[in-house]
Amino acid sequence: MLPARRPHTENALDAALDRLAGGPVDRPDTPDRHVTAMRRLPAVAAQFAPFPEGLDERLTRALATRGIQQLYTHQAEAIDHALAGRHVVVITPTASGKTLCYNAPVLHSILQDPSSRALYLFPTKALAQDQLAELQAMCETLAGTEVDGDRHGPPSPIPGIGVFTYDGDTPQDARRTIRSRAHLVLSNPDMVHSGILPHHPRWAKLFENLKYVIIDELHAYRGVFGSHLCNVLRRLRRICRHYGSNPVFLCSSATIANPRELAERLTEQPFELVERSGAPRGEKFFVFVNPPVVNHQLGIRRSYLGETRRIASEFLKRNLQLIVFAQSRLATEILTTYLKDDFEGVPGGPETIRGYRGGYLPLRRREIEKGLREGVVRAVVSTNALELGIDIGALDVAVLAGYPGTIASTWQRAGRAGRRTSRSAAVMVASSAPLDQFVVRNPSYFFEASPERALIDPDNLHILVDHIKCAAFELPFTDAEEFGRHSLQEILGVLSEQGLVHCTSGVWSWTNESYPADAVSLRSVSSDNFVVVDTTQEARVIGETDFTSGPTTLHPKAIYIVEGKLYQVERFDFEGRKAFVREIDCDYYTTAITHSKVTPIDVFDDEAVRTHGEVHVVSRVVGFKKIKFYTNENVGSGELDLPEQQMHTTAYWLTVPASVMALLPYAADDRRDGVVGLAFALKQVAQLLLMCDGHDIGISISGLGVRESGFGQGAPGVANPESRITDPDGVKVYVYDNYPGGIGFSAPLFQVHDELVRGTRRLIAECECESGCPGCVGPIGYTGPLAKIAALKILDLVLGAAEDTKETEDTKGAEHTKAIAGMEAEAL
Amino acid sequence: MSSLTDRIRGIVAPASARSNAVPACPALPAHPAPADLSTLGGDWRGDCFVVDRRWAPSARYGKEAVGTFAQCLEEASAQAVLFAHDPLARAPFVFFDLETTGLSGGAGTQAFLVGCGRFDAEGGFVTRQFVLTRHVDERPLLETVAGELARAGALVTFNGKSFDASLLETRYLFHRLEWSVRCLPHVDVLHPARQFWKPVARPFSTSARSGFSRATADHTHPCSLIALERDILGIRRTGDVPGFEVPGRYFQFVRTGDADPLAAVLEHNRRDLLSLAALTARLFHLARSGPEAARDAREAIALGRVYARAGLDDRACDAFNHALDRCRSPRGAFDPQRIDALRLLASTRRRTRRHEEAASCWRALLEIRGCPPAILREATEALAIHHEHRVRDLPAARLFALQSLETVEGGRPSWTAAVQHRLTRIDRKMGATCEVGSLKFEV
Repeated sequence: MLPARRPHTENALDAALDRLAGGPVDRPDTPDRHVTAMRRLPAVAAQFAPFPEGLDERLTRALATRGIQQLYTHQAEAIDHALAGRHVVVITPTASGKTLCYNAPVLHSILQDPSSRALYLFPTKALAQDQLAELQAMCETLAGTEVDGDRHGPPSPIPGIGVFTYDGDTPQDARRTIRSRAHLVLSNPDMVHSGILPHHPRWAKLFENLKYVIIDELHAYRGVFGSHLCNVLRRLRRICRHYGSNPVFLCSSATIANPRELAERLTEQPFELVERSGAPRGEKFFVFVNPPVVNHQLGIRRSYLGETRRIASEFLKRNLQLIVFAQSRLATEILTTYLKDDFEGVPGGPETIRGYRGGYLPLRRREIEKGLREGVVRAVVSTNALELGIDIGALDVAVLAGYPGTIASTWQRAGRAGRRTSRSAAVMVASSAPLDQFVVRNPSYFFEASPERALIDPDNLHILVDHIKCAAFELPFTDAEEFGRHSLQEILGVLSEQGLVHCTSGVWSWTNESYPADAVSLRSVSSDNFVVVDTTQEARVIGETDFTSGPTTLHPKAIYIVEGKLYQVERFDFEGRKAFVREIDCDYYTTAITHSKVTPIDVFDDEAVRTHGEVHVVSRVVGFKKIKFYTNENVGSGELDLPEQQMHTTAYWLTVPASVMALLPYAADDRRDGVVGLAFALKQVAQLLLMCDGHDIGISISGLGVRESGFGQGAPGVANPESRITDPDGVKVYVYDNYPGGIGFSAPLFQVHDELVRGTRRLIAECECESGCPGCVGPIGYTGPLAKIAALKILDLVLGAAEDTKETEDTKGAEHTKAIAGMEAEAL
Repeated sequence: MSSLTDRIRGIVAPASARSNAVPACPALPAHPAPADLSTLGGDWRGDCFVVDRRWAPSARYGKEAVGTFAQCLEEASAQAVLFAHDPLARAPFVFFDLETTGLSGGAGTQAFLVGCGRFDAEGGFVTRQFVLTRHVDERPLLETVAGELARAGALVTFNGKSFDASLLETRYLFHRLEWSVRCLPHVDVLHPARQFWKPVARPFSTSARSGFSRATADHTHPCSLIALERDILGIRRTGDVPGFEVPGRYFQFVRTGDADPLAAVLEHNRRDLLSLAALTARLFHLARSGPEAARDAREAIALGRVYARAGLDDRACDAFNHALDRCRSPRGAFDPQRIDALRLLASTRRRTRRHEEAASCWRALLEIRGCPPAILREATEALAIHHEHRVRDLPAARLFALQSLETVEGGRPSWTAAVQHRLTRIDRKMGATCEVGSLKFEV
């Protein structure tokens, strides 16, 4: 196509990209450059398929009225499976028409049999609201089609199809009506858990006739949330059995490595996978930007927020509509302010630059979404709140300020830009965090590797026992029943010791006054939490924090940030689970210094230097540092005396044998620095491989002659100068699940041990800093001058002296792919 | 095996919490011997354990004899429609109260005791209690209860609309049984009782729908059944089981098979039923006899509300007037009862288009010292409307609107805006009249 005849946006996009890259696009990766990668993803043409046979004619007519004459291949495939009663999971890129994959079979089943019911589960209330509008419009069209009449039309009138959301916001007096009238109930797992399942007799009509359960955004259910959902679904299926129904599960997921495995683990049913999208896609450019180093010695780069601002401006200047994703609420507000300063037009005119994040009122959110769809809003700066499928239309450009942490989430965010036919771009601006630096310097890791696996551990005893209580409340267990992998009867036995259940004539009935679902939150392992009370004026609760992260974020003098406002903790009431804060105006935030000690209890598997097993973790917040905003200077510190926190969890650990330590040609302090630096980098790579948040895993070192060592948030342990002799058992670096009971990270880490250690070595080796920076073994001051060299040496020795480093460099990418493929093979 | 058990123990009851936990029940045989129910003094009918009792008509209960209640109810049974808001409500009345395994509702909360009471032909009070002895017997129990209730002309409960009936409905739904009680007229005595007898001064809002949960229905609550029987019926219970102990006693029975702790629960339930019947008799009697029978202004006002709600406006006005006569405070002095009566009288009269009389009530309200702003606002607003549209006395309407504006301070902006809108309109009308007047003059 001739440039002159191309739409304005494409010219603008080319111009902006040219300016950004300073050269032709589509060239090899250049890790040292400012732009480290510029990939072109070619346009893909649509692949169509006819409506599956047997799909209700009234439905196909209604779809035609709405402009859908034929289906994309993946839609047809998914609908086929669903109609045949097979559980199906569809992998869907953004804007590929996933909703039709499940709405079509659901509406079909209701048209065929008006008593049919369906339950939709969305991870957030906002997504349910979003779908409500679409489903209602579809039902109206259906009703309209009927009015038009048709001589082929069946004589029976189309039933009024009731579509309702049912969540915490549903008014009490509307609930009875919804229970009796809803064909389609749009809800979320939390509501099903605490509001629907415990009241199942009132939902008898739904459970008796439940044909389909739809799980949207399946990939959101990993870790703790997924482990809970699995148990909620066990309860749901149990109730369905009681009422004689056996629903088919229809799931949609963003691209993850193991959608089928995740679906099967969550529902414990066999699944069909539909992964080839028939939807068209416009040409897309994906650009990786690494802000230039401004201080080589300290490895300090130009601020990635400033860089994001500059890049966003290039697109905005050319009138391209864009979304900027920031990593935190604070970063969102900062970037919004920057862009507003640069671009906000006349005062009183329409706001063209908006921020968007959790904490905004729903009305404001809807207004911003509408503005985006209509094009009035030219740029939105958002947290991950807009990552999930809220309808904001398709934009021209997505700018990612910082690596989102996972491959899946990066594609998801990048997918927010891109129309079906025209071209679009996504730009990822790396921060100086190690994970960001690894990805931006190894673009092939991102572009060629499979995305992460989503892991859950539904049989975590803490989680399982909680749900067994809920299930016993809902329906008495029989003495032949099973629930989860552990012995149900044994668990019920312990519950009966506590007087919660009682067994008579082979039936375990609930014998307690409580309503167990109230005590279980699906978003954490333990329902215990800390509330944050603002005492600036009259006392009011402004937030809450789960139990494990309470001491690290709410210790005395901690800066607590909410909606960009800073508060200082004045009193931390550990027993009362409260923190009293007051608004403050300051230019720093705080990070806690945690010391943790890990003691192995049980070894599940053990091979050479890798182990995984059960451990006991004792951690204590011993102090904190004040970090200045923007410059990240350390501007002060304080000591703290807080109670210990203990937990049993699972861990993977790497053992550096005493013999290896002995081979190191360095002083004890430098050896120590090497291990600390190695652990710092290891955690980042583990996080990368596990598809988890930094908070999900903790790290700790033992055997260094350091009494307590660990760094949940930052600094290394304090060396005890009197015992710098290496433990005869060697030095151990633990990576533990930061949740009581563990949520299943340690076994996969054990399996990908090689990849983990090699990845760590590569992260350190390829870093261009002189002797440590935030991107590899930690910033200067965190470890000593030889940390980098010592860490590399240790890793080389661990990996085996025979390995030819040079050769492996070249085959790294391939190996990684192989390792992931291996993981997949195992999973299936 | 034991290691799993230990790990579960560590989760269910962490060491720190274990020491001060409720003493765990002792290890029991999995299937305890069939419960000995002889202490409850009932018998088996099919799969259902039933306890029948009777109070003779001559038995005294508080200030009155049981027979008196029976007589009152019989004479006043036609009044049931006023309290059930259902024209089909009629005798026989079945008094109804559940004892449950918890207050939260949901599939895991059961009614382990269903208590039914009624007056027999001789004027005695008969209770029949259905006891759930084993989980598996719930279905036959519910079927038997449905049969028992089928004969009722109306169900009478205390807070039963939101608690007992809805909980039992869940049980029927659980067993896929039909919940026929839904169609039965239902008198929930809690709501009228609150208006007739709740001792504290109510707020002056018309929507006094404070949440009255079963949890607050304990001794301490000013409108609990226990408090009412003390204040209205003159009864002091001794040795009664406090409500919070009830589920625990049942669970103890379930685990040990020892029915002793249940005996007191059954007694508690029977007393609840009789007190409920006595209070109902008092209510129906008042409704039949009219405000002359009221003890005080409070009762007369509440009676007026009952009449007004049933559309008996003349009887309602009569009751409110009666209440005004009973207010002992001097005219113009602050008296919540007088304020209440005047407001209700005014709105009832307005509804029956006796506007002038309504206006006099509103005016009387304005004279009361310390009348709450919300009510002053209501009164001045009503008077402004009255003078603008009916009397067509614009200057007076303007004065009331201005007065209304004075009381608005602290009120909602929407209210202020509405009053200002009214003022502008009145001013416009007045201006128009003046202009017309002056034109006339010139001509």
